[in-house]
Amino acid sequence: MATQIVMDRTGDTRHIFDHQDHAEVAKAGQRFRELTGAGFTAAVRSGPGEQRIIRSFNPAAEETLFYPRLVGG
Amino acid sequence: MSQQFLMSIGWFGLALISMLLLSAISLVAARSGSCANKFRFESETKALTLLKEWLSPKQRACYERFRYFDVVGCDTGTRYRIHHGTQTNIEELSTTGRHVCKWCFVPDGDLVAGDVMLTQKIALETNERGSLSVARRSCVS
Repeated sequence: MATQIVMDRTGDTRHIFDHQDHAEVAKAGQRFRELTGAGFTAAVRSGPGEQRIIRSFNPAAEETLFYPRLVGG
Repeated sequence: MSQQFLMSIGWFGLALISMLLLSAISLVAARSGSCANKFRFESETKALTLLKEWLSPKQRACYERFRYFDVVGCDTGTRYRIHHGTQTNIEELSTTGRHVCKWCFVPDGDLVAGDVMLTQKIALETNERGSLSVARRSCVS
């Protein structure tokens, strides 16, 4: 199972999908494109306290975090 | 005399109804305020759990003790201290650990502190220059 975590006003919303299930993977891929298209950045953990930004959907990623575009405070 | 008596009873009844209405409105307002506080608390707790999962053991220990943690910018190697909060909470440190200035950038939307701090950490550690290009710099300590 893999999780897409989308930051929002509730803290976050989680979408869990089975990376063996083609339909669920397709849906997750669609969600990835929609979110990044809307300005979200996608990050995956690459080690304890380490992460990298991904630009394309990786169905094998255990956990993908999406955060909204950055703005000056 | 009886007309005056009836009028008094009428006014009294009207005052009583008004008081009851006001009490009901206050009760609804208090309940909705408490719901909003509960929602905010739950969101904050969820976001802080996520933040701690993504921090390194050292950053997590530091945050739990001091309510801040340090990150190193991926482009310049500069050290930044992210304090608990959602505004102007990033402190740039010199090589000797002294305060240089403050930076403010946040994820768009009304996100809670845990999410804001996690976004700031990832942004500085993976895209320092890009993040600071949208940030506001403040030299007041």
